[in-house]
Amino acid sequence: MAKNLSRQKKFDTRIDFTPMVDMNMLLITFFMLCTTMIKSQTLQIALPSNEKVEQEQQNKVKQSEAVTIIIDGKVDDKGLSKPDEGMLYFFDGMPPQGEELKNLATSNPMKQIEFGAKTGGPLTPIREILQERNKEVLKKINELKKDWKEMKFDPKNEERNDSIYQAKARVIRNDSTLKRPVIIIKATPNASYAHVVSVLDEMAINSISRYQIDRINEVDSAMMILLQGQNVK
Amino acid sequence: MGKVKIKKKETRIDMTAMSDVTVLLLTFFMLTSTFLQKEPITVITPPSVSEEKVPDANLLSVLVSPDGKVFLEVLGDKDSTLKSETVRADLLKNMAAEYNKLHPSNPVKFTAKQIDAFSKQNAFGVPMNQMAKWLDMPIDQRDKALEKAGIPINMNEDPNNPNEFQMWIRAAYNSMNENLQQAMVKGKGISIKADQTTPYSVVNVVMDNLQTMKMNKFSLMTALKAEEE
Repeated sequence: MAKNLSRQKKFDTRIDFTPMVDMNMLLITFFMLCTTMIKSQTLQIALPSNEKVEQEQQNKVKQSEAVTIIIDGKVDDKGLSKPDEGMLYFFDGMPPQGEELKNLATSNPMKQIEFGAKTGGPLTPIREILQERNKEVLKKINELKKDWKEMKFDPKNEERNDSIYQAKARVIRNDSTLKRPVIIIKATPNASYAHVVSVLDEMAINSISRYQIDRINEVDSAMMILLQGQNVK
Repeated sequence: MGKVKIKKKETRIDMTAMSDVTVLLLTFFMLTSTFLQKEPITVITPPSVSEEKVPDANLLSVLVSPDGKVFLEVLGDKDSTLKSETVRADLLKNMAAEYNKLHPSNPVKFTAKQIDAFSKQNAFGVPMNQMAKWLDMPIDQRDKALEKAGIPINMNEDPNNPNEFQMWIRAAYNSMNENLQQAMVKGKGISIKADQTTPYSVVNVVMDNLQTMKMNKFSLMTALKAEEE
């Protein structure tokens, strides 16, 4: 008996893992195909209320601070807006009223700039204009940014450094002692949604705290048509 | 001279290490994944520098197709009694009540089975008078029918005589999910998801409807764009 026991055959303890790997690979493929890794971002906007009272309040915006931007685009035969074609019209101050309306043809305050080559492309011309209007705020923000990059707010804790910077930047953006522009954004029906978002984006990039989306009116379209007429000549 | 014995090589490779790696990867994917939700239309959102993430709970997304069709998606609260399914069922009941107030001659009614089908539906957007029929369809047909439909919407600035889209917004606002209501007030609860080629006139209709319902704050869904300094 004892001899028999000692002669017991040794089992191979190694298990073949190949099927296991096969199955895992299949599962990985499944998960890779069915998941979204990138989460969408959101852009918060606030529109003025539809009520008339607030409309009048808007008009009290100081003349020197207002900039109206009108976004225009082209629609193709499928009814889609072309994201790479667009035009920006803008003018400073209040829209012309009364007597000024009669002289629009000779003294049109509106100017136009071509949109960047592609959606999300550089909006440099309008950015320069916005930066010029908002230079007091931007100067302070840039000083702050320098401190932030050098981790001056909290040299050890990066997260805290960030949050202090964000809080200080918010104070500067809303500082009423600085000269801050009020941007009124309007869009024609043909303008593409992407262009509207990229103009809204410019507000964030250039630290502009006061902007609103408004509806295009007759005076705006009259000025646009006049301007387009002038360009054809 | 005897024959040189060629040593037989073991052809089997040890798969244990490989298995370890795949299991690790699998665990990673399982933990980080959120499943793609089926949507009636595919949209490419415009890029923006905003870094704020889309909330994954208490959200009413308005899906806008470039040709002006509107669909809604509702997400309930996480880890609570107000799961998406519960919230959606409640939303449909609210909406039916709203609708029947305006259309007393032609009221809609849903069976428990239809409400259950609705609560499992991620996106919806058929006119209310077709809703019951739509919910009775098998799932694959339902998706196809949804693509062709869309919530009826028009330029309407009279909150006392709302269109169906406005009724849905009101029904969602008045649903039992108070967290959604709060999010909507703060502007984080409503999100517009539109394709970048959508003409502004289409988006404007949706925005105008939201304004009419006094939802002046909302967010736009965008994709991340790196901003060069």
